[in-house]
Amino acid sequence: MARLAMLIDESQCTACRGCQVACKQWNDREGWLYSRTRNWGSYENPPDLSPQTWTRIKFTEYEGPDGFHWLFLKEGCMHCGNPACVAVCPTGALKQQSNGLVTLEPELCNGCGYCTQFCPFHIPRLETDVLTGQGKSSKCTFCQDRVTNGLLPACVKTCPAKALDFGDREEMVAKGLARVEALKARGFTQANLYGLNEVGGLGRLYVLVAPPEAYGLPANPQYPALASFWQKIVQPLGSVAFGATIVGILGAFLITRRNIRMEEVR
Amino acid sequence: MTVQLRGRAEAITIQWIPKYTLLERVGHWLHTASFVPLAITGMVLYFPFLQPLAQGAAGEFFRLVHRAAAVIFGVLPVIYFIFQPRRFIMNIREFLPSKEDIGWLRGAPAYYLFGRHEAMPPQGRFNAGEKLNGLVMIIAWVIFGITGLLMWFGKGIASPELFRWAVLLHDLAMIASVCMFLVHLYLAVAHPLMWAALVSMRFGVTSAEYAAEHHAKWYYGPKRAMEIYEARKREAARSGH
Ligand code: HEM
Ligand code: SF4
Repeated sequence: MARLAMLIDESQCTACRGCQVACKQWNDREGWLYSRTRNWGSYENPPDLSPQTWTRIKFTEYEGPDGFHWLFLKEGCMHCGNPACVAVCPTGALKQQSNGLVTLEPELCNGCGYCTQFCPFHIPRLETDVLTGQGKSSKCTFCQDRVTNGLLPACVKTCPAKALDFGDREEMVAKGLARVEALKARGFTQANLYGLNEVGGLGRLYVLVAPPEAYGLPANPQYPALASFWQKIVQPLGSVAFGATIVGILGAFLITRRNIRMEEVR
Repeated sequence: MTVQLRGRAEAITIQWIPKYTLLERVGHWLHTASFVPLAITGMVLYFPFLQPLAQGAAGEFFRLVHRAAAVIFGVLPVIYFIFQPRRFIMNIREFLPSKEDIGWLRGAPAYYLFGRHEAMPPQGRFNAGEKLNGLVMIIAWVIFGITGLLMWFGKGIASPELFRWAVLLHDLAMIASVCMFLVHLYLAVAHPLMWAALVSMRFGVTSAEYAAEHHAKWYYGPKRAMEIYEARKREAARSGH
């Protein structure tokens, strides 16, 4: 199946945060910690992603070549082409679907939280009891239930500025690259497309008008080396070591039984 | 104490000497009783083929058991240190390597597989194999403790990179300690030469005769033990073995 992707044109985003509301409504997310909204010195709200907030607009004050302006970033899961969260999940709750969506099935999650620590973008968030460790991880699933039924993700559907688009990834890439060229022609010299090749190619493509770091995005996100080392070397090593030990013990037992008789032992 | 062995006319007399305190023995078995469930519940997350057990409520349950057992596993040595600090330090010292260990390990296959113990260099309270087991467990305990607490309480406080290292080191400690544990288990319960070790861990005593033979440095003291060993070697050389 063709890989799907979301194209987010940050040059169009007005930070109305309709997407935040639509996401909460469709996915039944509640307020979280910050539910009693108060003025904390920024238009940004809520201040961070959370188990109940799968997407939000991050505000950055940016002093660019053409003077001051706001940068808006619609945060959320990148649906990596090579998702570390899926590799380290011991339950299979996190899955990469054949259409490229990285989904999380809450019934299978046991709350270990490995995904929250191995994600290169710090996306999944854990709702957990610190002492017992009981809880669940959660994150944006690109509205898997809507998308598999031919609907657009709730945020895309709602965006009044048409900053969000969703569909076949190759088509989204082509649109994004064309948009970057158009922006450059209009004087946005720093315009760029983020997510083309990062971590196996992201399912969330950003048209940015400033360098990724200015938005707080990692310039060069990497699939964590320790995740590969752990999965590809340490896990097989364990099986080999246990196998060798058990075979060795059985062999020793048989040899010993032939050579040492209990009566001779003092 | 006299024991009547089956198939023998005369009764043999065993003289028992103390080896472990009550706290040491109870601590040892509680440590075992927490280590085994820790290994099993940890492996549920570790082995991909156990994935069905890691899912949902079952996985939550195993993780909870892991944490409960971890408290026992982590606290026991601390209790031991608080109540019997001198024994604690003495035993740690006894676990440290000594000169004879190399020779002993070289002779170990013949000792364990064929029961040839006459030529083994004299050993202290613990032989080199027991020391190896002790050291691996002590080092693993420290690694489990540090990395386990980091995985438990460190999310969102420590950097993710540190957490990743913790999972990795936790796994390596698990591999080393479980392999060691399997060997230890085999020697303790199934190996004919090691019967005295199991007796001491259950009742706190060991046979004097066994101690003289297998733990000469402890039984006679280092000097006398070496004399006996040298004399035995000369004897063997003279009779051409
Ligand atoms: C002080 C003792 C220990 C503590 C505090 C501890 C704590 C933890 C924690 C917090 C986790 C992560 C899962 C979760 O959040 O519930 C974990 C995983 C694990 N533990 Fe322990 N643990 C301890 C001892 C042990 C021992 C003795 C073993 C095995 C012999 C063991 C084997 C494992 C394994 C295999 C994992 C899974 C790692 C993976 O996913 O690859 N742990 N432990
Ligand atoms: S951004 Fe993080 S949570 Fe999303 S797919 Fe990539 S690794 Fe997984």
